[in-house]
Amino acid sequence: MKNEITLQTRREFLRRTVLGSALSWTVPAFLADTFSALQAQAADSSTQVDTGKDGTILVVLQMAGGNDGINTVVPFANDHYHRARPTLGLTADKVLHLNGEVGLHGAMKGFKELYDAGQLSVIQGVGYPNPNRSHFRSTEIWQTASDTDRVEKYGWLGRYFDNACAGADPTVGVTIGSQLPQAFFAAKPKGIVFNNPQNYRFVANGSATEESYKKLNELEMSEPQPDENSGGSIAMLPAGMPMTGGRAVDFITRTALDAQHSSDEVRSIAARVKNQAVYPGSQLGNALKLVAQLIGGGLPTRIYYVSQGGYDTHTNQLGSQQRLLGDLAESVKSFTDDLKAQGNMSRVLVMTFSEFGRRVAENANGGTDHGAAAPMFIIGNQVKAGLLGQYPSLAPADLFQGDVKYNVDFRNVYAGVLEHWLKTKSAPVLGRAFTPLPVV
Amino acid sequence: MLKPISSTDWDYAKAAHLLNRAGFGGPPAEIQALADLGLDGAVARLVDYEKIPDPTLNPDWAKPNGEEMRQFREAVKTATPEEKKKLQREEQQVFQRRMLELRGWWLQRMARGPRPLQEKLVLFWHGHFATSVEKVRNPYFMWRQNELFRRLATGAWPQLLLEAGKDPAMLIWLDQGQSKKDHPNENFAREVMELFALGEGHYTEKDITEAARALTGWSLEPLEQKFIFRPRLHDDGNKTCLGRTGNFNGDDVIQIIVGQPQAARFITAKLWNYFAGQVPSEAWNETLAASLRAHGNQFKPFLHELFRSEEFYAPAVRRNQVKSPVQWLVGSVRMLENELPPTLASWGMLRQLGQDLFAPPNVKGWDGGITWITTNTLLTRYNDAQSLVEGTLPPLSANDFAKKPGGPGGEKAMKAMQRVRLGKVNVEKILTPDQREDKGLLIPALEQRLFQTSLTSGQEQTLREFLNPKTKLSEADIQTAIRLMMSTPDYQVA
Repeated sequence: MKNEITLQTRREFLRRTVLGSALSWTVPAFLADTFSALQAQAADSSTQVDTGKDGTILVVLQMAGGNDGINTVVPFANDHYHRARPTLGLTADKVLHLNGEVGLHGAMKGFKELYDAGQLSVIQGVGYPNPNRSHFRSTEIWQTASDTDRVEKYGWLGRYFDNACAGADPTVGVTIGSQLPQAFFAAKPKGIVFNNPQNYRFVANGSATEESYKKLNELEMSEPQPDENSGGSIAMLPAGMPMTGGRAVDFITRTALDAQHSSDEVRSIAARVKNQAVYPGSQLGNALKLVAQLIGGGLPTRIYYVSQGGYDTHTNQLGSQQRLLGDLAESVKSFTDDLKAQGNMSRVLVMTFSEFGRRVAENANGGTDHGAAAPMFIIGNQVKAGLLGQYPSLAPADLFQGDVKYNVDFRNVYAGVLEHWLKTKSAPVLGRAFTPLPVV
Repeated sequence: MLKPISSTDWDYAKAAHLLNRAGFGGPPAEIQALADLGLDGAVARLVDYEKIPDPTLNPDWAKPNGEEMRQFREAVKTATPEEKKKLQREEQQVFQRRMLELRGWWLQRMARGPRPLQEKLVLFWHGHFATSVEKVRNPYFMWRQNELFRRLATGAWPQLLLEAGKDPAMLIWLDQGQSKKDHPNENFAREVMELFALGEGHYTEKDITEAARALTGWSLEPLEQKFIFRPRLHDDGNKTCLGRTGNFNGDDVIQIIVGQPQAARFITAKLWNYFAGQVPSEAWNETLAASLRAHGNQFKPFLHELFRSEEFYAPAVRRNQVKSPVQWLVGSVRMLENELPPTLASWGMLRQLGQDLFAPPNVKGWDGGITWITTNTLLTRYNDAQSLVEGTLPPLSANDFAKKPGGPGGEKAMKAMQRVRLGKVNVEKILTPDQREDKGLLIPALEQRLFQTSLTSGQEQTLREFLNPKTKLSEADIQTAIRLMMSTPDYQVA
């Protein structure tokens, strides 16, 4: 440690003290990596990456289950559409017209307002080659930005953290929920997860207990064990989440460290920052409400991840999709209103995705089965507003196994967001070069 | 044949490992009893559980309620809007009460039942055929599926797959009961190949649409609430599925699927991961699959081999599995020799920790492994440890009581939760007077009970520093020390 290191935060200080005076071989790789990155960063402060305190912020919104894109951005004037959907088809009077051909589902008034204000971009027909109709595989493809025939263990946001956010605070990525999405899986995992800021703390019956908890969770690392007779096992987990330190307990130790040092900050922001818009009481509404507080409170987060489930509408789709899209539009609109009131609207971009759209023809249960391409929404006051790309043809001769064909590869959208919004090179994150779609 | 460890290598630590993985762990006396049985005896004790009587009574409502549901629907039809609301509210309350009772009933079997491996396998099959009450909406069906898993837990793979497919909860969960020949619903046909029996990449899209045709006609008889085949809905034409062509029905395609060599590989990999906490290498998976096939696809003899194998006791396997929330909760009350918290509290903990029984997140079930651990769930485990040991109520929030089908309900449920009283750990029961008085004896005794091994010297030092200022250890001091030991990364693995 020849360099003079100025450690900016309590956390960096802690990591340094954790490492003590020497980087011994018993220190897990992730800590050593963080430490090296801190050193590099401190040595050359110009390499300091933007943080969510002043830089741009991306909110990824997952519509889980496979949203029926055709009844979301509705081609109400298309005869093929009404022939394929005798009961589910939405007529011109039921949709919010974007032009003479297509309109938003009638429940999406909030999105129509954003569209009219030039703050909503609708990218039509987004998908990928050789689409997979499994929820899990297709979600994995979107989360890892992989080709259909390649299984990647790291997520695209995880690779973004690895490539562009070395040494960043663990709150560089925040998931509101209980599970870390695969998009966050990384060589050097980053990001915190929580549902509820009030419960995001260690409850102690006294200061001695709290001190002991901190010590028990900071200093101890398991000693690496020889990998003899490993039972022929190759990994921890079918989901493919990588293990950094080898033993499960090392992963937990790192998580404990992140929990300890983000919980005070998150709770203090949630208690201090007041929302300036009224949100729906839904899970998505609550999640976005919290994200707005964290942005307003200056958490250095660059990526927020929220999700809304229930889009797997094999039966009786009309009512359930109506409810879901209504909740989506209302929650996002409240969120943008809140950000505007805060003065942060120009720093935040919301991007939606769903693992696939649904079959053009409805099924016999008033629902639709798994399909392929679907629209994505991008929201922000700097977006290229309007309808981007072409609406996929619904003519039976143009379908593949009953599904629409994609016009835009979702990785072109990711590349656009990475290059133009997060200001980072997209090729290292996406594995190869994709032409960035100019989304902003 | 998997190579067993030498019976002379059998010891207390291996018995503890076996009880943790083939069951939910237990106090030192139980581990010692298994150790005394020797390897073969210990494995037989856990796997051949039919010999142990299980006196558990079924919930009194655990019988078909088709007539009750019919009457309810009739009553709603003719009711005034006001009466209708009241009827629906009452029905909702019955539903909530029964689901709560069912959760408690099952957790109690895990924590105090005489057949730990059977319950551990029921939990495996529940996660495998992950069916949620949020869509099924019927406690009787959920109980019935749970019993199906219990009855066939160590049975034959083909029989289990077939019966799970025809199970009423599954017929609703994956829409098979509504599939008709003019527009077959592909939901079950897809998941039976992708998630239940073969895995991605071992079938084509065409296999799915063809299997969906063959499966038409599988339906649910609403009054008797059981499987029925409806020839009217069945597609009688030829189908080609997984390379075979014929006028197949649903039973035929299930047999074709489970007859694939991949079906044995798929399920043994998943069982290995569940019990050993690791994904098997390709070669090891092949060995496991060969063992299952050699035993005629019967799980019981396969598990006998698995629990005696060298690989199962390898250092990389031991104390390297993240406890699932259920394992964490049930294992804790077993090790601490206290009672499960009231079901409302137990259920609340499991929900917050990410394993809501009878309500898995989706048909893939819980990912498990290190995905159980996030910054959020880790802190929650640490706080729930305080609840279990010191009897404090965990922090609650309205968010956890958001209304959704099968959920606990809103504000009223939260108030009910706030009235719950939790017990404390009885330190006199689990520690000798010497251990309670002498810090030098206390810490090792607790380590053996909670970890079956030692913590690092640094952690032991921290615990000593916590206890040293106290001249005479009170019950509360010891409880806090236990809670602290449970608030470590080390306690989250077994």
